[in-house]
Amino acid sequence: MNTTLPAPWFACLFLREVPAPVSAPGAVAQPGGPEAVAQPFRGGRQELSPGLFDAPGCGTPLDRVLAIARDCSPRVEVAGSRAVLADAAGLTRLFGGPPALGQHLAEVAAARGTPVRVALAATRTTALLSAAARPGVTVVPRGQEAAALAPLPITTLLALEEPVSQPASGSRPRRAQGGGRHYRMAPGPALAGSGAGQALDPVLDTLARWGVHTLGDLAVLPPADLFERLGQTGLRWRQRARGEDDRPLVRHEDEEIFEQHFDLDWPVEGLEPLSFVLARLLDPLCAQLARRDRGAVVLHVWLALVNKTVHHRRLELPVPMRDPKVLRTLVLLDLESHPPAAGIDRVQLVAAPAPGRIVQHSLLRRPLPAPDRVSTLVARLGALLGAGRCGAPRLVDSHRPGIFDMAPFAPEASDPPPPESHGPDEVAHEGARMPAEPAALLRRRRFPVPIQVTVQDGRPVRVAGRQAGVDGTAVLEASGPWRTSGEWWRTANPDPARPRRTSRPWDRDEWDVAVAGGVYRVFRDRITNGWFLAGTWD
Amino acid sequence: MRRRKDETLMAVSQLARTDLEALLRKRQLDGALTSAHPLPDKTAMAPTGLAALDARLGGGWPRGQVSEIVGPACWGRWRVALSSLTAATRRGELVALVDTLDVFDPGPAAALGPHWPYWLWVRGSALGARGGGRLGGRAQHTVLAEALDRAVKATALVLSAGGFGLVVLDLAELPRAVVRGVPFTTWLRLQRMVAGQEAACVIVGADPLARGPRGLTVSLSAAPQGRWRGQGPRARLLCGLGTRACVVRAQRGPEGERDVLIDVPVAEAG
Repeated sequence: MNTTLPAPWFACLFLREVPAPVSAPGAVAQPGGPEAVAQPFRGGRQELSPGLFDAPGCGTPLDRVLAIARDCSPRVEVAGSRAVLADAAGLTRLFGGPPALGQHLAEVAAARGTPVRVALAATRTTALLSAAARPGVTVVPRGQEAAALAPLPITTLLALEEPVSQPASGSRPRRAQGGGRHYRMAPGPALAGSGAGQALDPVLDTLARWGVHTLGDLAVLPPADLFERLGQTGLRWRQRARGEDDRPLVRHEDEEIFEQHFDLDWPVEGLEPLSFVLARLLDPLCAQLARRDRGAVVLHVWLALVNKTVHHRRLELPVPMRDPKVLRTLVLLDLESHPPAAGIDRVQLVAAPAPGRIVQHSLLRRPLPAPDRVSTLVARLGALLGAGRCGAPRLVDSHRPGIFDMAPFAPEASDPPPPESHGPDEVAHEGARMPAEPAALLRRRRFPVPIQVTVQDGRPVRVAGRQAGVDGTAVLEASGPWRTSGEWWRTANPDPARPRRTSRPWDRDEWDVAVAGGVYRVFRDRITNGWFLAGTWD
Repeated sequence: MRRRKDETLMAVSQLARTDLEALLRKRQLDGALTSAHPLPDKTAMAPTGLAALDARLGGGWPRGQVSEIVGPACWGRWRVALSSLTAATRRGELVALVDTLDVFDPGPAAALGPHWPYWLWVRGSALGARGGGRLGGRAQHTVLAEALDRAVKATALVLSAGGFGLVVLDLAELPRAVVRGVPFTTWLRLQRMVAGQEAACVIVGADPLARGPRGLTVSLSAAPQGRWRGQGPRARLLCGLGTRACVVRAQRGPEGERDVLIDVPVAEAG
C-alpha cells in the first residue's frame, strides 16, 4: 500500500511591531535562579493555570502568536523574536487551501489584538522571508520560491539570523540554527531603503560592495566563486536567498509545569498527617522531574486554609533536587518553623525546575557531604533553633565590637581552602604555619552585662556585678583604656534596614581587667556612662 | 586429673570471653575493651593546630570518639577549641561549632585563619536574650537547661548528618548544676553516634563529663590572673593566659605516660 504524504506547506506569522519585553500579569517574579511561573490560589480553589498565556490579552505578543499558530497546527516553531512558523501541510480540508488559511490566521490574529503578517510557502525559509518583507497575506506558489524572493532586499536575510526569544510560557531558549552569530534586531523590511540595516554584518557589507542588493542578485551568483570568497557562510546565504531550507521545522515544546495538588476531604491540622499528603504529591512530582532530567531548585508550597487564607512557603534549594524524601523533610521542617494558622484544605506544590546536576568529584580534594544532606541538616537545625541561628560566619567591614554576619552554610558552592600538606610528619609543625594569632580569644556576651566598677585615678580598682558573676572583687591587673567609637553619623538617620542594636552609634572605653575569678573585658559606655562586661578571655 | 580440669576451665573461660567480646563488637560497644586498643594512628587524629599539644595528644583529637577540654573559666579552653576548628578547616574538613550560649565572636577568631565556608556555626540563645539577663534562680536554670537541651540535640543532628571532621560542643558557660542535670545516657548516645565516623567530637566544659572510651580529656590550668607585661600601672598589657594542659586518657599513651603535664601557648602577645 502506498502512503502519500501531504505536500509540505509552511505558514509564517510575523509580528508587525517589535514586541516590548512584557512580563506576564500575575507572574511571580522571584530573584535568584531559574523560576517557574507560579500562581497562588485565587479564592482558595483555583489552581495553577498551565494555559495561562493562551488566553487573549495575556502574555507577550509572541506568546499570543504562538497560541494562534497552535490552534491551527500541532507543529509550530518559534523563529526569532517576532516570527512563528507552523506546518500547514494537510490543513486543506480544514481551511480550504493556503490562501484561505492565510486569511484565517490574519483575521484571528487581528481579532486577538496581535496584527501579524502572514505568508505561506512550500519552504519554511520562503515563508519566513516573505512574511518578514511583505505586508498582509502572501502565498508563494510551489516552485516559484526563488522568483518570489528575488526582489526582496538583501537585509531581509537578517530575519533568519535573529536570536530565538523565549516565550514567557517557560520554553527553553533555543539557539538560532545556521550561523553561529546572533545579531541585534534588524529593522523590518518596511524600513528597507531608509538606510537602516547597513553595516550590520560584514558579509552584508561585502555583498553591498559587490553590488548585490537583492536576494535575486545573491541567488544568481556562481556557488563556486561565492564559496571561494565567503566560504560556507556565503553558500548558506545563497541557498536561503533561493528559498531553500537548510533544515526542517523543529517543533517547539513548552517547558512542563511541575505541579501537583491535592484537595482534602477533611482539613488537616497537624504536620504528621500532612506528611502523608506531601509524600503522595512529591512522589509523582519527583518522578516527573526525573523523566525530564530536571531537579527542583525552588519549591513553592501553597496551603489553602480553612479560614480562607493561603499559606505560602518558598523553599530555595542549594542544588537541584528530586529526592522525594529529602524534599518532604525540608517542607515539613520549614512548616514546623512557620506553621499555618489554621487547618489545611488544599495542598499544592510547584517546583521550579533546573537541569540535572552532574558532579565531577575531585580525586585530590576531600569529599564533602552531598548538598541535599547539608541543606537537610541546616533545615533541621533551623527548625530546632530558629531561623538564622546557623550558618557560616562572615566578617563585617566594621570596627564595632562583636559585629558579625552569617552566610548560608554551603561548602559545596565555595572554593576549597588553599592546599596544605598535612602528612603525619607535618602534624607537629602545623601550629607553626598558623598566621599571627591574637593575644587571646574572647567569649563575648552578645548582650553586655551591666556591672558596677569603682574607679580610682581613672583606673578600675573594683568590679561588682551579680549577673556577671563577680561580686565586689578587687582588680589585680588592668590594661586600658582602649577607646573605640563609630557610626556617630547615623544618629540622625538610623539605617532602617539594620537592627537597632547594630545601627546605633557606639563610643566606649575598653579595659582588660584581671580579678580573682579570671580575666575579663569591661567597658564604659561613654554615651550612657555605664559600665558593662563585654566578655571573658578564655 | 586436676590439671586437666583447670585447663578445661581456662579454655571455657577464654571461649566465654571471646564470645562476650564478639557480642560487644557487634553492638559497637567494644570501646570498653582495653585489650583491643591499637596504638593511635596519626591519620586517625584531628590535629589541634597547636604543635605542643598535638605532640602530647599523639597527633590530635581521636576521630570517632568524644573528647573533652575541661577547666575553669579563663584558662584557655576556648582558644584550644577554636584552634582545633581552624586547623580542621584549613585541612579542608567541615567543622561545626555548637555555640550553646552564643558567645563566639568571629572577628578576633579570624586572625587564626579559618576557612569560614567550611565552618558551621550553630548559635544557641544568648545570655540575656530572654528577660534581658535579669532572670534569676529557677527561671534562669530553666532557660539554661533548655539551651543545653537544644545544643545537645543540635550536636546529635550534626553528628548524624555525617561528613564533618570536627564537632565542638561548648558547654563552658553553663553552670555545673545545669550540665549535671543531663542524664549520662545522653553522652553515651553521642558517643554511639560519633563511633565509626571520621568526625572527632570535642566537648568544652568545666568538668570531665563524657569522654569516650578512646577519647582524650585535656584538662587546662592557668595563672589565675593571666600573664601581663609592662612596667607601671598605665603601661600594663595582657599578653596571655599562661595555660598548662594535662592530658588524661583511658589507657597508656604512645610514650607510656598516663598523665602528662605540658605548656600550651594558648595566648601569646600579638
